[in-house]
Amino acid sequence: MAEIFIDNKRYEFEGQTKVLQFILDQGLELPFFCYHPSLSIPANCRQCYVEAGQPVLNRETGEYELDDNGERVIRFFPKLMTACSLDATDGMVIKTHVTSELVRRGQKDILEFILINHPLDCPICDQAGECPLQIQTYKYGPEGSRFEHKKVHKPKRIQLGPRVVLDAERCINCTRCVRFTEEISKSNQLTISQRGDHNYPITAPGTEFDDPYSINTVDICPVGALTSTDFRFKARVWEMSSTPSIDITNAKGCAVDIWTRDNLVMRITPRYNPHVNDYWMPDAGREAYKIYNENRISRPEMVVNKDSIKTSWNNALLTISEKLTGAETGKTLVFASAYASVEDNYAIQQFFARFANTTVIYVPDIKPGTGDDFLITDDQAPNSSGCKLLGINEVDADQAKGMIDSGTYETLVILQEDLVGRGIASTESLTQYFSVYLGTNNNSTSRSASVTIPITTAAEHFGSYVNVDGRIQRTLPAKETLYTDRRLDLQMSMGRLDHYGTRFDNWVSDNNKIDCIPAWEFLVRLSHEMNLEFRYNEAREIIDEIALKNSSFAGISYERMDRELGIALQDQPSKELNPA
Amino acid sequence: MQNFEFTKEELAKIDAIIARYPNPQPAVMPVLWMAQEKYGHVEPDVQKLVARTLNLPEAHVHGVATFYTQYYKERKGKYVLDVCTSFSCQACGGYETLHYLEDKLGIKAGETTPDGMFSIQSVECLGACGYAPMMQITNDVYVNHLTPEKLDKVIDDLKKDQLPEFESIPLVQNRTTAMENE
Repeated sequence: MAEIFIDNKRYEFEGQTKVLQFILDQGLELPFFCYHPSLSIPANCRQCYVEAGQPVLNRETGEYELDDNGERVIRFFPKLMTACSLDATDGMVIKTHVTSELVRRGQKDILEFILINHPLDCPICDQAGECPLQIQTYKYGPEGSRFEHKKVHKPKRIQLGPRVVLDAERCINCTRCVRFTEEISKSNQLTISQRGDHNYPITAPGTEFDDPYSINTVDICPVGALTSTDFRFKARVWEMSSTPSIDITNAKGCAVDIWTRDNLVMRITPRYNPHVNDYWMPDAGREAYKIYNENRISRPEMVVNKDSIKTSWNNALLTISEKLTGAETGKTLVFASAYASVEDNYAIQQFFARFANTTVIYVPDIKPGTGDDFLITDDQAPNSSGCKLLGINEVDADQAKGMIDSGTYETLVILQEDLVGRGIASTESLTQYFSVYLGTNNNSTSRSASVTIPITTAAEHFGSYVNVDGRIQRTLPAKETLYTDRRLDLQMSMGRLDHYGTRFDNWVSDNNKIDCIPAWEFLVRLSHEMNLEFRYNEAREIIDEIALKNSSFAGISYERMDRELGIALQDQPSKELNPA
Repeated sequence: MQNFEFTKEELAKIDAIIARYPNPQPAVMPVLWMAQEKYGHVEPDVQKLVARTLNLPEAHVHGVATFYTQYYKERKGKYVLDVCTSFSCQACGGYETLHYLEDKLGIKAGETTPDGMFSIQSVECLGACGYAPMMQITNDVYVNHLTPEKLDKVIDDLKKDQLPEFESIPLVQNRTTAMENE
């Protein structure tokens, strides 16, 4: 096995690796700006300087030459080398800032160069707090600047595209954004304009940066030059807490982090998952915060004398249990949903299995041609594969419409699916039914339903979703509901503000907690009301039961999903399966 | 709006340029140059023409065009007078030359005369310090050892579309020989 010595410590490596990536893989630190593991290596920021040397091989004996002390003679490269572009070789000796004064000096001088024209506007910059330039200047930078002249001024507040704003003065020309559009999104929309100290990234004249993946450039920008039009000036990073979750706006299920402050989702950023999305996510997925924050159903609603009124949970439970108890067999139609989690779908499937002859179906929401072969799928819903694997009957929109209009059924139970919005049912046809809508957001279906039950979104519950490639991943609650408390639930994340904030702080209130519960929990309460055997205390019990009962889900658990960044299910969802 | 197109002959020439390289990127510079010689500038629409012709992203061509100051990203006069004001020329009267031209043509550096004949630019070192003060005309001929009289003549000639001849001035190669010759 090849060996490499970093700061006098021996490491072993196999195959080809760059020195910087190897150092990072060991959990060691080396400052850098332009390097990104998924992009090409231009080595233009020069921040990852190291001293590098190789042992001298005696060509005649084939042995390494030794000095008087019996140590290998090391021939160092005459200048500092950029670790990002340097291939590790057998016997290589690397000195980083830990052991080399020269490297420390080099890093400091590079930072001084980079900072010559960089504005000192950290207090109003969105990147502050998560800015590699800020962090590395603190750690490795000079204490002041020797540059006494006017800084070069460049364009500010340039709307590069609908979702990205450029502040060219902050740019350090690492070209990560340009390389992203060339190598990852392949839209080739960005370039570096001009040269020397006047250069900055820009689109070609007359074009805009409307790449469907454009906000990824904001994430990889190592300074505050590119900011998201939407998130700009909304929150400081240290005020938010982040929770691992997944993107629920299409069937790819990109791994994301949900950033909340005072139980509002402020932004959604991609989380590294090499099996699904690498470091990226589509812009559309970041809009999901609107689903989590806005237009939410809070408290159950009922139609009384043609008026929709807020009602108590008890009243809603009683009404539904009465109707279901009195319903004739075979007259209840249940819509499971590709928009709901595996747990919720399983719960609704199992709950209604206790009523003879009840039809449980789901209607996939596929819009052909809207996807690409990267991270956007034709399938608009996050869990079609999950429904299929659970063995819920798949019905297309026309068939479902026919079922609703047939007059065969009297009661409709709809999980999350916006039937009216999708054109499967009309407001008029729904009024013919006693309809229960278990939904997260107000929409035309919720307004037409006899009883509306508010349920949790992916940002508020533990839920698993099976993506288009058959990979099951899970979400954790990022927002509190009226009935959850991040101080008590150790699985919820807490940011600084959650830990130490008081009512006297900015941004701390209890105003943003929604009065809702997970759909499975509502069904459990309903079963209490109706004296049915249907008991779960937490989502984990449901997923464990699925793992035992359904062979497609065999062996899965929340722990494995967390540890292995999701689990590829054995059976591909395209297979026809019998109901569990 | 002007319609920018390459003629068939030009396209054949471009194909020959592309054939010289393993991929089309390196052809951007010569093709931009062709376009500038044809239209006198490489405004965004001309950059688009180049991108279209080479089947490359517009942004890439824009990046190349803005990198080099010799590509004119906006319309200039027929003759662009690049007056060197870097160190050597400055010491020998570069700014006097520039100001003399500005007064004579009634425009400032960076501007174009209303008749579209002349633009003046103050540029950095053109690598001809031995000829200071000097200027370059439209990325072409160098005019050396400028004096007001010489500038008058150059401007008059240019108005008659006569580019000045390049005068080669041998530099002193060997100090002792030069002294002996004196």
